[in-house]
Amino acid sequence: MAEGGGWQPPRPCEAYRAEWELCSSAGHFLRHYYVHGERPACVQWRRDLDSCREWEERRSAEAQRSLRESEQARVQAARKHGLVWAPRQSPPADWHLPLPQDNDR
Amino acid sequence: MEQLGLADPYVKLLLDAMKHSGCAVNKERHFSCEDCNGNVSGGFDASVSQIVLCQNNICNQAHMNRVVTHELIHAFDHCRAHVDWFTNVRHLACSEVRAANLSGDCSLLNEILRLHFGLKQHHQTCVRDRAIRSILAVRNISKEVAQKAVDEVFESCFNDHEPFGRIPHNKTYARYAHRDFQNRDRYYSNI
Repeated sequence: MAEGGGWQPPRPCEAYRAEWELCSSAGHFLRHYYVHGERPACVQWRRDLDSCREWEERRSAEAQRSLRESEQARVQAARKHGLVWAPRQSPPADWHLPLPQDNDR
Repeated sequence: MEQLGLADPYVKLLLDAMKHSGCAVNKERHFSCEDCNGNVSGGFDASVSQIVLCQNNICNQAHMNRVVTHELIHAFDHCRAHVDWFTNVRHLACSEVRAANLSGDCSLLNEILRLHFGLKQHHQTCVRDRAIRSILAVRNISKEVAQKAVDEVFESCFNDHEPFGRIPHNKTYARYAHRDFQNRDRYYSNI
């Protein structure tokens, strides 16, 4: 993605700040431990916040690269688990149809 | 009768995601309030694409919000994937794992209120147990078969957080998730 070609950080810098603050909170530590049995890792949100601000201030190519790599890694992590079912190409045919007259269920 | 909780951030995100997937929800068509047997709170009837809310078993607005969220997750799965609800117990198990995981059913507070005390990774124990219970409520199969199905799909389905992108532990997380969903065009065009 070209630096001057209309690129912007994937999220507003305010969103990175909010995620970092939420991740760093005591409440999130407790909830993350309750779910995963380990402490959360929040440093990447801080790095992304710093990169976002650096892009906003200096249009740094390094900041752009760092943000894109970080978000690509998040997307890959979310997709690494295989799906149990096949995705649809279109919604169910009956979704918008009226309920059947015979409503025995 | 409690309100459907349409302003709840969990529900708002699910409704937006379903509309984006071609399954806009119509209150009159896709929800039904009924009296139910036992202590079931609700269900998703895939044969007619309708959410059933058990009005005699829903205690308060917070409970209503959670039940609507739970059933909308099933509706969302029905909308976005070929889920074989009736003959593939692994598919059913997957959607039940997701609903227990993402609806708030297994929040620390809700488990404490059920007198289930546990901390380290207890959320996952709760998700497994509630998924098995939900399967047994709608399928005439043994607990062992239900448990095996949950075990087989758990790794994949526990980590499938769509459309939230994260486990929404409370309304703050759900609001952040909704913000991210609304921002998705900018996000994917700039990574």
